[in-house]
Amino acid sequence: MNLGTRKLLDRSFTALGIGSIVIMGMMLLVVLVPIVFNGVTANVFRGTVEHRKLLYNEFRRGDKAELQREIVESDAVRSKAYAMLDQFEVEMSSMDEAKQAEYQDKYRQVKESLKALLGPRPGGDIPELTRYKYGQTRWSKAEEKLHELLYEKQWDYSNPDAEAKEYFVSRSAGFQGTSLVKLFPYVEENLDRMLLPEWTIYWGFITDSSIDSHIFGGIWPEIQGTIFLAIGAMLFAFPLGVIAAVYFTEYAREGFFNSLLRSANSTLAGVPSIVFGLFGLAFFINTLKVSESKSVLAGSLTLAIMILPTIIRSAEEAILAVPKTYREASLGLGSTKWNTIVTVILPAALPGILTGGVISLGRAAGETAPIIFTAAVSVGSAIGLADVFNSPTPALSWNIYNLASEHEAASEIRHVQYGMVLALVTIVLLLNMSAIILRARISKKLKG
Amino acid sequence: MKLFKKFVYGAAVFGLMASADAMAAGNKIVMDGSTTVGPIAKAFAAHFTKATGVQVTVSESGSGNGAKSLINKTCDIADMSRPMKDNEIAAAKGKGVNPVENVVALDGLALIVHPSNRINNLSKAQIRGIYMGRFTNWSQVGGPNAPIVMIQRESNSGTQDSFKELVMGKDNPISQRTETQASNGAIKTRVASTPNAIGFVGLGFVDNSVKALLVDGVEPDAKTVKNGTYPLHRALFMYTNGQPTGIVKQFIELPKSAEGKRIISEIGFINYY
Repeated sequence: MNLGTRKLLDRSFTALGIGSIVIMGMMLLVVLVPIVFNGVTANVFRGTVEHRKLLYNEFRRGDKAELQREIVESDAVRSKAYAMLDQFEVEMSSMDEAKQAEYQDKYRQVKESLKALLGPRPGGDIPELTRYKYGQTRWSKAEEKLHELLYEKQWDYSNPDAEAKEYFVSRSAGFQGTSLVKLFPYVEENLDRMLLPEWTIYWGFITDSSIDSHIFGGIWPEIQGTIFLAIGAMLFAFPLGVIAAVYFTEYAREGFFNSLLRSANSTLAGVPSIVFGLFGLAFFINTLKVSESKSVLAGSLTLAIMILPTIIRSAEEAILAVPKTYREASLGLGSTKWNTIVTVILPAALPGILTGGVISLGRAAGETAPIIFTAAVSVGSAIGLADVFNSPTPALSWNIYNLASEHEAASEIRHVQYGMVLALVTIVLLLNMSAIILRARISKKLKG
Repeated sequence: MKLFKKFVYGAAVFGLMASADAMAAGNKIVMDGSTTVGPIAKAFAAHFTKATGVQVTVSESGSGNGAKSLINKTCDIADMSRPMKDNEIAAAKGKGVNPVENVVALDGLALIVHPSNRINNLSKAQIRGIYMGRFTNWSQVGGPNAPIVMIQRESNSGTQDSFKELVMGKDNPISQRTETQASNGAIKTRVASTPNAIGFVGLGFVDNSVKALLVDGVEPDAKTVKNGTYPLHRALFMYTNGQPTGIVKQFIELPKSAEGKRIISEIGFINYY
């Protein structure tokens, strides 16, 4: 090959390398930016006075006097809107029956929309569900609800061959000639004085329990459940994995049985996680009965089995990477085999073993399928350490799925779902970062 | 070793934090089962925990799984949107479990379509025809000229069983072309995003993103379900092992209390008591 071609090949390979790294970086941006951007809206948003009422009533948080002042201030503006409703009701009762019937349904819709926007009317009966006790706690949602109050969505079915199109009809037009017509511009103009929005940082999203199945409140039980499950899985899998790796590298004799074990281990690493989930249900809960119901323990054991092959493989590689001279020196000084393994080989292999372990920890934190049947529930409170043996727990991965598909108000609480995704990604990222730092520190120590 | 000590301290601090929000341990209720009953169960759980301090956990994995959990004694209460089948009762008896039926609420099985669909009313025979694959275009039942996308629930679902029993009957299999979704919420989301779709969900899941059809000219609402004029009505259950006692009994009796009744009707289901 002449020099020219070689240079050309070399350059094109470099270009290819840089190109793929750039593409990877861009993909990462495309994935991470929306996660971070949407996730942050769960913590930082324009909160209304309803949000502050909620915080005070449910968590006793916030300044009571200031809140009282705000409630009085907003109620003064709201009461005018309610007065307009009352006035119209009087007006309606004096109409003839045909007209009453015409307005009744439309008026009910207006009342419902106003209730969704501002919460139940003071003095009226208080709903039992927390979700109906408050108006819109977020300004962005309030603006959507305002639109629903001002305009009615209708569908144009006139063309029988084409798909119907939606269009919006102003509700105020429907009340032309009555006193209620004033309500719509009044609410539109004064909404910010009714709800008093201000930029809020809601750290409680991370540390609070959820209220009324995730419609309000935070995600602490989920975060804690995720951490419990991941750490529990490590407690089982890490010692077992390291011991197995020591056996494979130091004690096992090469032979049919050993290679069978190794390939079994590799196969296990490729088994889909849902299989582990079903296995965990059948084996740990139904056969061994490690707990009466789903529990953190059963979930951890299942996750442990899932990550065990990865830990064994990485520990094996790390042990094999320890230079032969270490071993020979130790044995040459008269040390026993066991002593050599514990005092020389394992410490030298520790950075590699730990890296594998922490990466598996991240995987355990993010898996959904193994915990569906063994540990996860859609609603539950944060559990204590004493409860891990018999209590199931909510967990981030499973609750993200639950909020995305099964939750009855899924489309109303997307921000909670985004917040959970960000929390999960952050946990996994932090774990991986700590792996890198740990590794660096330990190898520095070993060299010094 | 220093590093190890740091680990231990970290774990200890975390443990303390965790046990700080542990509630009165020992007393807890584990619920599993129907995604239709799920919203009621979750709201009851929140109410019950607030009132008594007892921890209640709720899983929504489908009526069939709820029954299995009760049979395997892995839950205290099985939420079900259909009565237990004979073979499930036999399996339970075989394992020494005595399932007791407790009605929670009434529900209408709402047939939902995309709001852009001009169809407002279908007869039971038409619905059956659609799901058997006899009608494949909306124009055959008075709608726009567009293919029908049928959506059903998985075999584990009580809602699916109710639909088969109330609409299809024994000898009319559901067409193979029907798409399957795993929960009420998933069906609602699918229908809300698919103009030609039809699906069925519990009444509590209907909101303004989808349109609930009149069946045989009757609108599904609290009144028509309660008095039985809406043809697709059914009861929702919570099964217990033996007659409920203690905290489970307290929980099971929530639908009879004033607060319980309000919770059920605010979610959109219909009171039985």
